[in-house]
Amino acid sequence: MSQPYLRFENLTKVYERGQVVALKNVSFSVEKGEFLVIIGLSGSGKSTLLRCINRLIEPSAGQIFVDGVDVTQLSSARMRRVRRKIGMIFQHFNLINRSTVLTNTLSGRLGYMSAWRSLLGLFTKEDKKLAIQNLARVGLEDKAYARADELSGGQQQRVGIARALMQNPDLLLTDEPVSALDPATSHSVMQYLEQMNQEDGVTVLASLHFLSLARRYGTRIIALKGGELMFDGSPSEIDEAKFKEIYGDEAEEVEVR
Amino acid sequence: MRSPADDFQYQPPNLLTLEGFGEALGMLRKRMAERLSPFFLDLVLVAILWVLITYGVSWIVWKEVHYSLVPTWVFLVGILETVALWESFGQSLGYRVARKTLLGESRAKPTFRQRIVYYLLFHISVFPIIGLAWKRPLHERISGLSVAHNVRGGEKPAPWYRTSSGILVALLMAAILATTFSVTIESDTWRRFLANPSKAGRIFKALVSPDFSFWQDAVFKLIETIYMAIMATLIGVLVAAPLSFFAARNLTRTPVARLFYTLIRGILSFFRSIEPIVWAIVFLVWVGPGRNPFAGFLALLIHSIADLTKLYSERLESIETGPVEAITATGGSWLSVLRYAVIPQIINPYISFSLYRWDINIRMSTIVGLVGGGGIGQLLLLLLRAQRFSQAAICVYLIAMLVWGIDTLSSRLRRYYERGRIIQEEVAEESA
Amino acid sequence: MSAKNSGNRWQYAPSSFRSLWKRFLGFMLDWSIVYYFLHASMYLYLVFWGSQTIAGWNYYKNDAYAAFFNPLRLDSWMWWLVLGGTLLLVVLLRSFGRSLGQRAFGFSLQGVERSFVNAIQRSTRVIVFPISILFSPFQLLTSVIRKRPPGRGLLHDHVSGSSIRTYIHPSGLPKKRIWFTQWGWIAIALLSLTIFLGWVIIDANLGVLINRTDEARRVFMDIATPDFSHFAVPDPVFYQRAYPQMFSIINLMVLTVLMALAATLIGAFFAFPLSFLGARNLMCQNRTGYVVYSFIRGFFNLFRSIETLIWVIVFAVWIGYGNPFAGVMALVIHTIAALGKLYSEQVESIDSGPIEAILATGGSRFQIIRFGVIPQIIPSFLAFTLYRWDINVRMATIIALVGGGGIGDLLFYYRNQGDWSQVGAVVLAMIAVVWTLDYISGRVRERIA
Repeated sequence: MSQPYLRFENLTKVYERGQVVALKNVSFSVEKGEFLVIIGLSGSGKSTLLRCINRLIEPSAGQIFVDGVDVTQLSSARMRRVRRKIGMIFQHFNLINRSTVLTNTLSGRLGYMSAWRSLLGLFTKEDKKLAIQNLARVGLEDKAYARADELSGGQQQRVGIARALMQNPDLLLTDEPVSALDPATSHSVMQYLEQMNQEDGVTVLASLHFLSLARRYGTRIIALKGGELMFDGSPSEIDEAKFKEIYGDEAEEVEVR
Repeated sequence: MRSPADDFQYQPPNLLTLEGFGEALGMLRKRMAERLSPFFLDLVLVAILWVLITYGVSWIVWKEVHYSLVPTWVFLVGILETVALWESFGQSLGYRVARKTLLGESRAKPTFRQRIVYYLLFHISVFPIIGLAWKRPLHERISGLSVAHNVRGGEKPAPWYRTSSGILVALLMAAILATTFSVTIESDTWRRFLANPSKAGRIFKALVSPDFSFWQDAVFKLIETIYMAIMATLIGVLVAAPLSFFAARNLTRTPVARLFYTLIRGILSFFRSIEPIVWAIVFLVWVGPGRNPFAGFLALLIHSIADLTKLYSERLESIETGPVEAITATGGSWLSVLRYAVIPQIINPYISFSLYRWDINIRMSTIVGLVGGGGIGQLLLLLLRAQRFSQAAICVYLIAMLVWGIDTLSSRLRRYYERGRIIQEEVAEESA
Repeated sequence: MSAKNSGNRWQYAPSSFRSLWKRFLGFMLDWSIVYYFLHASMYLYLVFWGSQTIAGWNYYKNDAYAAFFNPLRLDSWMWWLVLGGTLLLVVLLRSFGRSLGQRAFGFSLQGVERSFVNAIQRSTRVIVFPISILFSPFQLLTSVIRKRPPGRGLLHDHVSGSSIRTYIHPSGLPKKRIWFTQWGWIAIALLSLTIFLGWVIIDANLGVLINRTDEARRVFMDIATPDFSHFAVPDPVFYQRAYPQMFSIINLMVLTVLMALAATLIGAFFAFPLSFLGARNLMCQNRTGYVVYSFIRGFFNLFRSIETLIWVIVFAVWIGYGNPFAGVMALVIHTIAALGKLYSEQVESIDSGPIEAILATGGSRFQIIRFGVIPQIIPSFLAFTLYRWDINVRMATIIALVGGGGIGDLLFYYRNQGDWSQVGAVVLAMIAVVWTLDYISGRVRERIA
């Protein structure tokens, strides 16, 4: 059997301040092409888990293998190389508000550029063409020269997707991509993610709040509670009892249509 | 799609009634503000560009000061026409800042003919002034163009060097840089700057080898400086705190009180706009020779009173009316309202402002000393006149230490008064 | 549980280095107050009733040099006596009562488990303190190395079985009114002493103000009726070697504004790159970064606290007295420090989201600054630069006093001539320009913010 695309081994993260344990010995693996949804309460360690993969947060112990490479041991220069192939989408979009949509999209290309070219903002013709293509793919080609803060929330998140597409990623990390959006927009954003997963074969790790979205889009679900892995299986396996176990007894499931 | 002309209300108000006239004036004001402010911005920028260019050129060429090489009327008409042309035939900077552009019916691109009509009629369209409130201006109606919101979207905008505003801004920058540096830095200056470091070297040498035997005298003058600042702050607070109640708009409602308000505000804002150093010069003449610290203190005092009264009364104007109402409702007198509703709200900001003023006064008192206002500033000036640099160095270090120390202390204390007590923090820390 | 056989040896230990530091600050506060009282009363005594020399205090009443600086000189042994006496008084105050310093930092003297401290313990503290003060540096050093506060407290804490700890007010008792506490009395005494002493030190004399009203009226009237004859036409009498050209008031005013502008532009040019090195969030990720950060911040703070006028003095000697460039250079140095600090505080307060996004795409540190930081901070940088220009114009009007050039030359020239109506014209021009720039920069900052 070939080794899995992404493998976590005893991943642990302890925040120095206040001695909060965010992740406790989390181990699992993800195959190439999966759409993995991570669920759990706020503060259960979903964001920390995702950020440990591209080391926006340094793990305290344990290993993460991306395509057979232990990313926890890489030097910062080599880590940058790895990050180029890992796209990330954020809850609050993290766009540069005062720059144009095109510049925001092009910033996905920064990992491939030399320092002086990026300092002067000299993107190549091909990059620009690719950016326009990717914006067209998320339906925003007519907003290319608008400023990012002139866009609505859903549009901004689509710019975030276009930025991730620019990286031509193998792996996409999405940290609550729809929790700042309204339900109708949520589905359109999730559909773009699904499209990337199915057409481009990108492995997607998404942390989500709504179980209905997780069931609809995920091929596999894991649940975290208090930093520990407490469920790993297909979406259909989560029933009422499991739900209560993950979210606590007082939780009610909310449907997003 | 909504046409840009829809913004206008076509129903003119009845000008014969007072209300209608007032309404028309209000609309006119709004309209003027949105039409004229881009126009004036363009006007000012073009004027500045011309003045700077003439100033710089005449300085560099003839070594003389000229602000405009042409007669004033030519200058005025010239900039007006330039701006009119610019706004008709391109997107001017004012419009760019306001994110507006010139567009035809249903957002069509303006034709050349339309632009010419727009430009020519521009000159007469200002005459039916009041009508502008509810009608589009003449030149817009006849040319069929109107000023519309500029939407940036799919097309690539032209690079800055191909837009008129970009070129103007670049020209302006170049003119500012060229004029500024040619006026303030002459070629001779550079020569001296590069050839004379040995002169400054003497000072630097003194700075690194100060005459430490002088410290006691310097410290005593430093203390004099500190006392000037402390006295000015203390007495300033004592005067400004009661005065601020008469300078707060919300506490002065009766006509007599309002008169006081206007008077106090007017006088104090005049006092504040004169630099303390100028006050020191005046007071030096007043108190006569040999009383330098007193003159410096008076200069600081005047400024402190003016500044503190303004800060205090602004704080008073923003107090919450809820507690005042509550105490009044329980039947409290004017004094008890003051004591239980107003003072608790303002006491901490007042302390914080006073500390801030103390900080400024310490800085100021060293400067005021330099014109002869006493303290370490005056000592520094005397030592420099006598070329005793190694003793002056001690003063420089003392001033730097004092300013740094007071700056840190006052910002710490201010944070404390703004945030609340340290004690509670500490208890929470220990119990945690 | 007695202090001696107490199993819990943390009972009178300071809970953290922070509280130890606060305790020290409180001690210093008490010390300064007591010292202030002592020195001030010695000074006042000598000023009003002093003869030539009393046991180590030398009072030079008739010496002009000493009178200019200070009439009070202490022999060196007297200095030690005063310092030592102060120390003793402070220790007494802190041991037998709740001093201002303890109160200000929320401390009080407590025994084991917050118990009452009896007179014997208090006296022990006073007696042991002089020995303890010799040991405490050593004690602190070892505890810093061991990374925990001295376990058994400082020596006098340990011996007396009491310590200065966080004060918790008994919930049943009402708080005393401030006027009835030690603090209140000290505050009132301090305030009155300060005003009295200040009055003596600055040699205030209200009689002079009244006696010389005529003098003042003449000057004020002249200033109030400004003479605008040289407003646009240069005054041929006024001639400075730095200016081969004839300058009118308005010409010099323009020159002053341009000087401020040049200083602001050059200053901003240097402050811009430095501000990134002085921003905690960008630099404090590794040790080298932290060193650079501290260095740059220290530079900003140091150069900010040295006044522009002092720099003018240096550059006036270097470049030439009255040369505008000397003023510009002085303003530049102060501007770099002041703007650099403002800029880097702005960089510290940016939204970290875009930085994270660019980091996640594999961007390097330069790319983060170029694409994540700079677009966010441009507007506030512009606003601060404009604000600085405003301040620099104010400063540029007075730097001529020590040879910096600009409109101040004219002001001080006319002042020395005693031509007060010309002074009035210059002051009016200064006010007009300062007001206008203040207004414009205020409006533009409002727009940008």
